[in-house]
Amino acid sequence: MAAVPRSAPLDRLLRPLHKWVWSDHDRRVRKLLIFGDVETDGGRDILRASEVTPDPLLRRLYLEHAIDELHHGVLFRERGEALLRQRALREGGFFSGNPLPGGHGLDDLVVEDQGDPRLLAFLHIAEKTAAGRFAIYKDCVDDDPATRAIFEEVLRDEVFHMNYSYQQLGRLTPERQRHHVWRARGRRLWNRYVRVAAAIAGLIGDTLLTGMYFILLPPFAWAARRAERRETPGWRAIPPDRPASPTSQY
Amino acid sequence: MKILGISAHYHDSAAALVVDGVPVAAVQEERLSRRKNDAGFPLNAVEWCLDHAKLDPGDLDAVVFYERSMLKFARILTCTLRAFPQSWRSFPHAMKNSLGEKVWVRGLIASHLGVDRRKILFTGHHEAHAAAAFLASPSRRAAILTADGVGEWATLTAGTGARGEKTTISLLREVRFPHSLGMLYSTFTAYLGFAVNEDEYKVMGLAAYGRPTMVDQVRKVIRRTPDGAFAIVPEYFEYQTTAARSYSSSFVDLFGPPRPSYEPIDVATAEGRRFADIAASVQRVLEDTLVDIARALQQETKLPDLCFGGGVALNGLANARILAESGFERVFVPPAPGDAGCALGAALYADRVYFNNPDRDIPDHPFWGPAVDAAHLARAAREDDQHVDELDDAALVERVADHLAANRIVGWMDGASEYGPRALGHRSLLAAPHAIAMRDRLNRDVKHREEFRPFAPVVTAEAADRYFELPAGGARLARFMSGVFPVRPEWRTKLAAVTHVDGSARVQVLERSMAPRLHALLEAYGRRSGIPVLLNTSFNVAGEPIVNTALEGYSTFRRCGIDALVAGPAIVTKRATASAKREHVA
Repeated sequence: MAAVPRSAPLDRLLRPLHKWVWSDHDRRVRKLLIFGDVETDGGRDILRASEVTPDPLLRRLYLEHAIDELHHGVLFRERGEALLRQRALREGGFFSGNPLPGGHGLDDLVVEDQGDPRLLAFLHIAEKTAAGRFAIYKDCVDDDPATRAIFEEVLRDEVFHMNYSYQQLGRLTPERQRHHVWRARGRRLWNRYVRVAAAIAGLIGDTLLTGMYFILLPPFAWAARRAERRETPGWRAIPPDRPASPTSQY
Repeated sequence: MKILGISAHYHDSAAALVVDGVPVAAVQEERLSRRKNDAGFPLNAVEWCLDHAKLDPGDLDAVVFYERSMLKFARILTCTLRAFPQSWRSFPHAMKNSLGEKVWVRGLIASHLGVDRRKILFTGHHEAHAAAAFLASPSRRAAILTADGVGEWATLTAGTGARGEKTTISLLREVRFPHSLGMLYSTFTAYLGFAVNEDEYKVMGLAAYGRPTMVDQVRKVIRRTPDGAFAIVPEYFEYQTTAARSYSSSFVDLFGPPRPSYEPIDVATAEGRRFADIAASVQRVLEDTLVDIARALQQETKLPDLCFGGGVALNGLANARILAESGFERVFVPPAPGDAGCALGAALYADRVYFNNPDRDIPDHPFWGPAVDAAHLARAAREDDQHVDELDDAALVERVADHLAANRIVGWMDGASEYGPRALGHRSLLAAPHAIAMRDRLNRDVKHREEFRPFAPVVTAEAADRYFELPAGGARLARFMSGVFPVRPEWRTKLAAVTHVDGSARVQVLERSMAPRLHALLEAYGRRSGIPVLLNTSFNVAGEPIVNTALEGYSTFRRCGIDALVAGPAIVTKRATASAKREHVA
């Protein structure tokens, strides 16, 4: 097995937090199920790459990569479900969510728009980050040999994915290999910023809308309820002249 | 006239192009984007339709959206207000969801396509369903029934249609949200641990394992109204107030704990039987209600034909009972009765009703999607060192029949892809229908799906009556796999892989003119096995859309237990290849 890359400095710094996340049954289950979805989605994106690339060797490599990712998805999902069967999740809970960025899904990657060099650089960075993070997770689940075994298996594959994507990038564009990798890093950073910004914007939007809901809506709610009481269930005749103008959205 | 129909934003978005009154292209976005049930704006589908017809957006006379988006928004807002203050959690999400994109449809279409805003038209959601069901059928005058979860306000409509000098579609009455048969079924789908808007057919499959012992309880949550319609009892549901959960605590009190989605269903256990009984009960109530409504419509209209559209029309058991018990002689269900089909329905509605164009017969098949390119398959397979042959039609059919007779699973891609959720012979996985072992192998090695779900057979129209108990009009309903009918008892053991536990099958009755190559294959297989019936299931793996291109078929073939793959004249048989990992390392 090739060497596992060092985890990112931020992840090393957050190791106690990772430990805390994985120490709880509910959070562990949620993380595993999320990983299951992320790996499956990523697998399908890479499958798409295998269908659109003109390069025969890349087609085969992408296909094997996709099969690995889809298999990881199954492993994570089945493990999460097995843990769920042992003990159901608690209801709610403030920290029941997933406070850490996790997985390495390809998000809304449109494979057709990428081109092989960009995609390979993206894959290399994503797999390298994932391998570093999974190496930490593996150590966080020492108390759970079955989950640890999954991380070990996934880690082996991720290291291969990380290496093949880098080498193939070198084959396709030897003179711009590092350039592509740096651009992929930049895009990844930008996407993270956009995600955080969108989350903050969403939070602000939710707060404003909730305020509006309680301040502005009560009289309209009263009127809507009053109107509802007059409605009788069952058939309602459609007036022959109801069809509105073809251009009307109402 | 050139009219583009679009459905989008809720589930199964699609585009369809009608030129001079006849469809020339129609495809669901998911087939191109490769995201199952893709609900996004169907830009890929629109582009493909226009490319296929060699048109620019500027050539279009109209672009028709399948529902009135502001009216839908008004319904969402009204329901939120009615549920005040319990709806406070769902309000921000509902507003962001609607105001972010969904209500600005005119601007969205204008900006994506660059068409004049005055060319952008709208139909009612159920009018689009009605048009898809009626105008694409061979019937000249028919009663029309549409039923789904919800459109703008309507959840079920009844009316009539007439084609001739002037085409009319008259929806006479409707049932309004929250009273909805589609939502009722979806609520039980969620309760039984399946995915809403996707797994409703699993409830139908599970129903066969149960007995309708809980019909009385189901009738407590949906009651019949004196005028022959129905009303849900709101205390048992939450879908009308929140998007978080569709059933209430009272519902759980009535039916017991819901099934967690991660628990496998084992109908041999008491809990598994309870879930199967619940599925059988809601299925029974759905069927009874639809049959009553259809019967009343038949008695009112005295018409022999019924055109049935909307997502509920995907329920083959209910369709078969409507045919048998409502008094209609023929029931037409289009190949895409759900929201995807509304793209075609909206375009046809605009052509015939808004623009008063003369009626035209619509080709009676579902093959409006992209065609498969055999050359792509042959090239990719050869580059992968797979065994490829390119044969003429007759030789290919005989070769495939040999594979099927040897119990091999064949991926079959032929011409244009189907419009709608069913594989009807152009993007199918085919296998011998005889042994249970084949069903289990398909479930395990290819489809990766639950054991309780049945596989469907396809049979030549000439031989259908021999193997299946088809009532009058049954073959028509089975044309697009829209009805579930009994397998004749004497054939059930020989058709075990396609006979459900209750002895039924969702059979496709295939006429030669609809898919000549598959028909020839059925005959060739019949010469070998004595039975011109094949197992026919959609060419995809669980959770993925049906394959569209040859290379999508090929990647599916490579990663699961399909033995041979056919696209046009090319046939690929699987052989072990060197791992690309090793090749890469070397």
